[in-house]
Formats: sequence, C-alpha cells, structure tokens
Amino acid sequence: MSEGTDSRSGGSKNPSLLTVDNLAIRFGNAPANTVDGISFAVDRGETLCIVGESGCGKSISALALMGLLPMPPAKIAGGRVSFDQRDLLTLPAKARADLRGDRMAMIFQEPMTSLNPAFRIGDQIAEGVLRHRAISQADARRRALQMLDRVKIPAAAERLDDYPHQLSGGMRQRVMIAMALANDPDLLIADEPTTALDVTIQAQILELMKTLQEETGTALIMITHDLGVVAEIADQVAVMYAGRIVEQGPVEAIFDDPQHPYTIGLMSSLPSLGERQSRLTTISGMVPTIETMPSGCRFAPRCPFVRETCITRAPELTSMSPGHLAACHFAPLETHMVEAV
Amino acid sequence: MLSFIARRLAIAIPTIFLVSVFVFFLQKLLPGDPALVLAGEERDPETLAFIREKYHLNEPILTQYFYWVSGMLKGDFGISLRTNQPVLELIGEKLPVTIQLAVMAMIIAMIIGIPAGILSAVRKGTAVDYTANIIALSGLSIPNFWLGIMLIMLVSVHLGWLPASGYESPFVDPLRSLETMIMPAFVLGTALAATLMRHTRSAMLGVLRTDYVRTARAKGLQEKVVVLKHAFRNALLPIVTLSALLFGELLAGAVLTEQIFTIPGFGKLIVDAVFTRDYAVVQGVVMCTAVGFILMNLVADVLYFLLNPRMRTAL
Repeated sequence: MSEGTDSRSGGSKNPSLLTVDNLAIRFGNAPANTVDGISFAVDRGETLCIVGESGCGKSISALALMGLLPMPPAKIAGGRVSFDQRDLLTLPAKARADLRGDRMAMIFQEPMTSLNPAFRIGDQIAEGVLRHRAISQADARRRALQMLDRVKIPAAAERLDDYPHQLSGGMRQRVMIAMALANDPDLLIADEPTTALDVTIQAQILELMKTLQEETGTALIMITHDLGVVAEIADQVAVMYAGRIVEQGPVEAIFDDPQHPYTIGLMSSLPSLGERQSRLTTISGMVPTIETMPSGCRFAPRCPFVRETCITRAPELTSMSPGHLAACHFAPLETHMVEAV
Repeated sequence: MLSFIARRLAIAIPTIFLVSVFVFFLQKLLPGDPALVLAGEERDPETLAFIREKYHLNEPILTQYFYWVSGMLKGDFGISLRTNQPVLELIGEKLPVTIQLAVMAMIIAMIIGIPAGILSAVRKGTAVDYTANIIALSGLSIPNFWLGIMLIMLVSVHLGWLPASGYESPFVDPLRSLETMIMPAFVLGTALAATLMRHTRSAMLGVLRTDYVRTARAKGLQEKVVVLKHAFRNALLPIVTLSALLFGELLAGAVLTEQIFTIPGFGKLIVDAVFTRDYAVVQGVVMCTAVGFILMNLVADVLYFLLNPRMRTAL
C-alpha cells in the first residue's frame, strides 16, 4: 500500500485498484466531520484491515465506498475516491450501481438479518449474477450452486432452495460471501464479517475468506476491531480513531513497532502480546462524540503523552519508516518522549 | 397446508358458537313480543297461542335456542316475518350485491392505498409524503355518508354522469352494474385506502431500514427492484392481513353507504329487518356476517402462511 496522495500524483508505476484520498463524511449539521480526511490505497489481491473501536467511522467509510451510505443525512464533505482509475464520487448513480455487486462487493456484520427472509438463497445469489451478466436463469442458478460449493456449504444442491431461516449464522455468512463473490469482484469489502459469529465459526469463516481471496485475487478491505483477525489476514493495516487514520502501514510494522499512542494502547490491551506489554495496559476515557470533537489531535483527551501542541494542532500523518505512517506530533515516541516514560 | 386450514376451522367452531349465543340471547333481551308483532291487529288469545306454539315461544329459552341452532345446521334460518320468504333465500339474494360492492371497494382501496403508501415511505419527509398523509387523513376524517351525498350531488345531479341509486346485477348488464356501483364503491374504497396507505407506509418504512434491503442495494439492483421486490415482498405480510380483515368489515359495514345509494344489499336488509322486528332475518344476517368475518380471518391466516416461508417450511 502506498499513501493515497502518492499514487494520485504518480501514474508512472501501476496505479492502485482503489485509492481513497482525503475522504471526509459529515452527518447533517454536525459540528465536525464523522470521517475526517482519510487516505489509503489498496492494490489487487491485497488485504487492508481497517481497525478501530466502534463508532470510529470505519463502517461509514466502507458504506461510502460502496455508495450505500444514506445521503442525506450523510454527505461527502470532501476528498476523492478512485476505483480502477474511475472517480467514484462523481460517477452517476446508475454507473455506480453497475459497479456495485459486480466489480466491488460487500458483506456485512449481521448474517442473521442480511439475507432477505422471503426468498430462497439460490435465487438471492442468482439475482446478483443476472443483474450484471447477460446469462440465462438456468446458468445463473448453476453459478449460484457453484458458489455455494465454493464457500463449502455441505449438500449445496439441496441448500439452493432453502430459505435463510433454515440456515445457521455461519452458513448464512457463507451465503453472503457466495453472493458477494458470485461476479468475481475486484474488491471485496467485509464489515466485521465474523463479529456476530461463534468463535469456532469465526475462524472457519476467516479461513474461508483467506482461501477464496488467494484463489480469486480479489482485493479485500476487512473492517474489524479484532486485532487477532488483523494478525491473521492483513497485508496492510490502517488504524482509525474518531474518524481519522492515526497510523497505517504494513502489518509487521504495526504489530512490531506501533508508533501512535492509540495503536500502542490497542496492542497493549491485547492479552499476551509479549515484550511491549509494559508500556500501556488500557486506554482510559471514551471516544469523543461528534459534538465534543477536539479541534487538535482527536486522541489528545485520552493520550497519556498529551502536550500543549496536541490540543491546538492536529498532527499530520508522517513517515516513520518506508510505508509506515503515524499521525502524532511526538512519533516516534522513543525519540521525543524519553523524559515522559 | 390442509391440516393448517383444518386446525384453523376447528378453532372457528367455538367462535361461531359464541356468536350464535350472543345473537340469540341479546335478541331475547330486546323489548317487544314477536308473537304480538306477528299477530298484528287481531291479537285474539287463540291466535297468539297458536303463534307461540308454532314458533316454540312457550318453550324454555334453552330449548328455543336448540331449535334455532339445529334449524340453521339443517340450512333452515327461518322465515322472514315481513316477506314470508325463507331467510336463507333473502340472504342469497342480498349477499352477492354486498360482495360485489365490497370487492370493488377493496380494489379501489388497494389501487390507491398501496402505491400511495409505498411512495410516501420511499419519499419520506418530502412534499410527496406530506401530501399523501394529508390526503389520507382527510380520507379518514370525511364521513362516508357526507362524501356519498356530495358525490351524488356532483356526479349524478349536476353532471348527470352516473345514476344516483339503484342496482343491476353484473350478470344481466355488466356496464350498467358498474355504473351503479362505482360511486358507492369509491366512497367505501377511499376510506379504506387511507387506512391501507398508512399501514403500507409504516410497513415499508420498517422494511426499508433492514439489513437485507441494504444487501439488495449492495448487489447493485435497481432501486425499483429493491423497493418493489425486496422491500415490498416483506411489507406485504401485514398489508394482506389488514386487507382481509377490512374486507370482512366491509361485508357488514356498508350499511350507511347502501342506504344512501339505495343498494339492495346486506346492509339494507339488516336495517330493514331491525326496524320491522324481523327477528329471523336479523339473526340470520348477523350469523352470516360473523361467519363471513371468521372466514376472512381464515383467508388472512392462509395468505400469511403462504407468504411467509418461515411458517410454510415449519410444517
């Protein structure tokens, strides 16, 4: 992954599949942006994990990328999103819908409620294929069956005519994955796909997604608050806090050498992470609401290393090492904060 | 499916029994002696005694009830005191008229109410939504009889487009039948359309917020397909149930409208029967209405069952 601004100005090397540049989203007349200038890029076949607490704007960003954010009340307050070199945000609604479910697909957090209870699952999968491909009903049904097989639903042929309520949560999430991948999308956005599932099922679904991604070469944006999931599948990680990306980089860099106090806090609140555990154990306080959003660094009210500058001025993402960025005035902490520790 | 219907029918039996008890005993509580009404001017003790004997009026009340119920089970609802026709025959004449009126009213209600409800849900908070709501509220607030009279004055008296009253069987002269029925059906239908619109709107609003509607959008489906297939199909459950119940009410509730347009239907039959103390007719009509209402309930249940895969596959 390269930072959005880099790949936009570039063009010499292969441009990324998806480039998000300074995207900002605001709700109604809120005093601050809910998502405030996030930038990232995803290459084909790559997995980007967006990590953060609930309410940090990660789901909203994902819905905005898909064009599924209800607008109003939400509005795009700024930025650009380019997908396969097309400017998504200025694309007419029709062209956007043509991409949706075809080139880019999404699966959601709640498998229990994400399938339409009134239709057979085979028909629900076939419907998406028929929408985007000029094929017959019978071929679409064959494709649905093939997809159910690929997501490893046992006795897929019999399951094709099942209604969602006849399936368990894990099975339903498999159906959602089958539906999302039925048209071989270039990009799959998964919004906490395992959060609502039992732990054992979580591992299975994650494993399945990993396998399918390797098979199809789909780029994956995985939204999660679970660092275990990140460690399992991420190539790149973006850590979000209160609508901003506070740190991003390759998964090894984020896990081995977190630089933003928030990321460090997240890592430390994971049990048995080893050597760095001594730095912080919990992050005190709460995520600010949109009404109480600090004007400087949004993490300042909870940051153990907070200084005058943090309250007045928002930090920019700056490079720590190649590809590893952190938005903290005092990153890397080791050099700036020796006296504080 | 059949066992489901059989079970629902079995549940209906005690309900019908209770209704019969109410109908019979409430009527007995009414002041006035039917024998006196029947005897007319004469009223000599012998005639009265003969009448009481003939209609079992001297027997204990439970025995009378038993005679009445067993008669009905044999298809004998008694004889109208007023016209001397068998009650069943009278009902057989009038019921089709009311059913025709109810069907036409229901069609009008659905044609107006359901699309208006969908539209105002999809355009929630816009001028379309407010306009539809205001019209619906007016529809609910305007009394049937007033709208009926106004329509007669405008359409029949001033414009002379449609007959103000009367009835023709659709099997004899379909066009004429439509002409006589369209105004009363419209009067009944618009009031129901308002109810249907409000329920459709709230059902659609609930469904449009669901995750599976978002999934449908995520598939790139056209908004038309999202709303009319994915959302409406699920909003249909409460709408169908409500429609069946409204239809049941129409069978009994068209009294005023039938009076205004002088349509020889069920409503008019019962009003005339009550005024002339034609007990057998009142009892027969009320029983029929109750059974009709229970049947419509059953229809609602069956439709609900057919539309809801969760129930269908549970059997």
